[in-house]
Amino acid sequence: MAAGFKTVEPLEYYRRFLKENCRPDGRELGEFRATTVNIGSITTADGSALVKLGNTTVICGIKAEFAAPPVDATNKGYIVPDVDLPPLCSARFRPGPPGEEAQAVSQFIADVIENSQIIMKEDLCIVNGKLAWVLYCDIICLDYDGNILDACTFALLAALNNVQLPAVAINEETGLAEVNLKQKTPLNIRKYPVATSFAIFDDTLLIVDPTAEEEDLATGTVTIVTDEEGRLCSVHKPGGSPLTGAKLQDCITRAITRHKEVKQLMDKI
Amino acid sequence: MGSEPEPGCALRPFAVEQGLLSRPDGSAAFVQGDTSVLAGVYGPAEVRSSRESPERAALDVLLRPKVGLPGVLERSREQMVRRACEAALLGELHPRSSVTLVLQVVSDAGSLLSCCLNAACLALLDAGLPLRSLFCGVTCALAPDGAVALDPSARQEKEARAVLTFAFESTEKRLLLSTTRGACSAKEVEYVRDVHGTSV
Amino acid sequence: MRGSRSKALHDRALVNCQYSMATFSTGERKRRPHGDRKSSEMTLHLKQTFEAAILTQLYPRSQIDIYVQILQADGGNYCACVNAATLAVIDAGIPMQDYVCASSAGFVEDTALADLNYVEEAAGGPQVALALLPKSDQIALLEMNARLHEDHLECVLDAATAACRAVHAVLDQVVRDHVREVATLLGE
Repeated sequence: MAAGFKTVEPLEYYRRFLKENCRPDGRELGEFRATTVNIGSITTADGSALVKLGNTTVICGIKAEFAAPPVDATNKGYIVPDVDLPPLCSARFRPGPPGEEAQAVSQFIADVIENSQIIMKEDLCIVNGKLAWVLYCDIICLDYDGNILDACTFALLAALNNVQLPAVAINEETGLAEVNLKQKTPLNIRKYPVATSFAIFDDTLLIVDPTAEEEDLATGTVTIVTDEEGRLCSVHKPGGSPLTGAKLQDCITRAITRHKEVKQLMDKI
Repeated sequence: MGSEPEPGCALRPFAVEQGLLSRPDGSAAFVQGDTSVLAGVYGPAEVRSSRESPERAALDVLLRPKVGLPGVLERSREQMVRRACEAALLGELHPRSSVTLVLQVVSDAGSLLSCCLNAACLALLDAGLPLRSLFCGVTCALAPDGAVALDPSARQEKEARAVLTFAFESTEKRLLLSTTRGACSAKEVEYVRDVHGTSV
Repeated sequence: MRGSRSKALHDRALVNCQYSMATFSTGERKRRPHGDRKSSEMTLHLKQTFEAAILTQLYPRSQIDIYVQILQADGGNYCACVNAATLAVIDAGIPMQDYVCASSAGFVEDTALADLNYVEEAAGGPQVALALLPKSDQIALLEMNARLHEDHLECVLDAATAACRAVHAVLDQVVRDHVREVATLLGE
């Protein structure tokens, strides 16, 4: 009976739950799904992390390569993020070149890296003007069940935290770089950005960590990215229902508590 | 819109012309300082069957850069403008139809996204499409010394510690869209939002 | 089940596969996760394998999409894909003639080796990839590269077949356990 009602009137079905301050999966409005993280499971990558937010699963693998530093900033390396939403993860994505959502998520992740200064690009320089690291951060979604931004941001952070770069020395005679695989050092993570997403229901009600179903029914989304000092690295509201200032403030407060939860999880691994 | 008494909180001179193109159903050119965007709206028109929705009009936004092909940044902005317009547009009145909004960047001298939003709103208005409210975009830059500059030029954006873009709807001045570059504190966001709220 | 109408077959379902490798799955970073020549070949092989096993005639005018994603490659990519896809097809409730089990085998210094890893594959000896329908002993796909003397073929195939049967035992166990688990959950 309930299943039939849900199919015919999905929005009304949700409203009945929200009226009672809970959601069909048993969560409260401000409650995240169970978050798990597994690091270093991919040995071919220089750093990797698998993050699960309920059913949403993303994997981030980082490969480091050499490159010449950019001409206009000879003391910097590169971080190249890319998010792939393959047809494997949900029936809503079709095979072919990346769709709008995949590109928007890629841009968001690039912005988070840029805004938060998670890693100083200067740290990636090996020899000024000659040699620098490129970190290719490829994020693949394996199971799409909403809140992809939070999952990707967390996977990126956990994977960067897992990266071990080999020591590099320049051979004086040949001028070539020599890699010492025995001596590895982790990256210097400067900031820990954590994203918290909300879906706006019926223009007023905010629910945290929406599932794919909830995102489809919602009239808008907001994503707040904070670092450990409580600074905002991103207030991303790509249109959708308008919000009052007070509501936005509530989101920011919730995002700061979420940061603490994620940081605890990070410290455990 | 009007200029603020506070120094740095004045908008650059802006101008708008509606209905300047003959082929689209609605068009507008919006100029903010040296930034200029041309917008054209087609619709409500026939919809591709894959995009057809029985509930509301399908909105497509195309953002064309001044040179070259649209990239990831354009795609991400298209999505933002589309969702902002969807919130303002009464699409329920035109189910099973499509509305296409084309934004052509004529010149970019800072505050491009807000200029796009303004042009989009005026073009939708010119097309005579029913809207829930009007909306407008404002960009602001936080200089390293903490000074706030509204509607920054490209140079101000580059030097700034953080650049924030907001869009507000006209009925209750609520926040429609927000995107930020660079890091800032929650207080600053609140302050800047309030400054914006009054200057809309 | 969806897909373009023009490709639909009137008497059976169209099987569509896509094989992609994550950029971080190999030692050297892969520039193209899918669409290169090797991936296209693999896609075709997977398609042929599953067209042979799935009872496609039960779903005329429809399409079955099988997507496989390699996260870490250490040899036997094709075999891992087939075994994973078999489980996924069963999980989707699509009827098949039988499990499809795959294993690779090689021939090094007069001995047949089953399930080659990356190093063994890269050594460049003869390799065989075998996809087997174990109950009927039918071969869904058999591919060999490099040169192998006819006399040795049998022992290499025997090694691959034995490995396929071992895989079958594991897959069957997993499916039975899963079904039992789901049945108890539904029963409650």
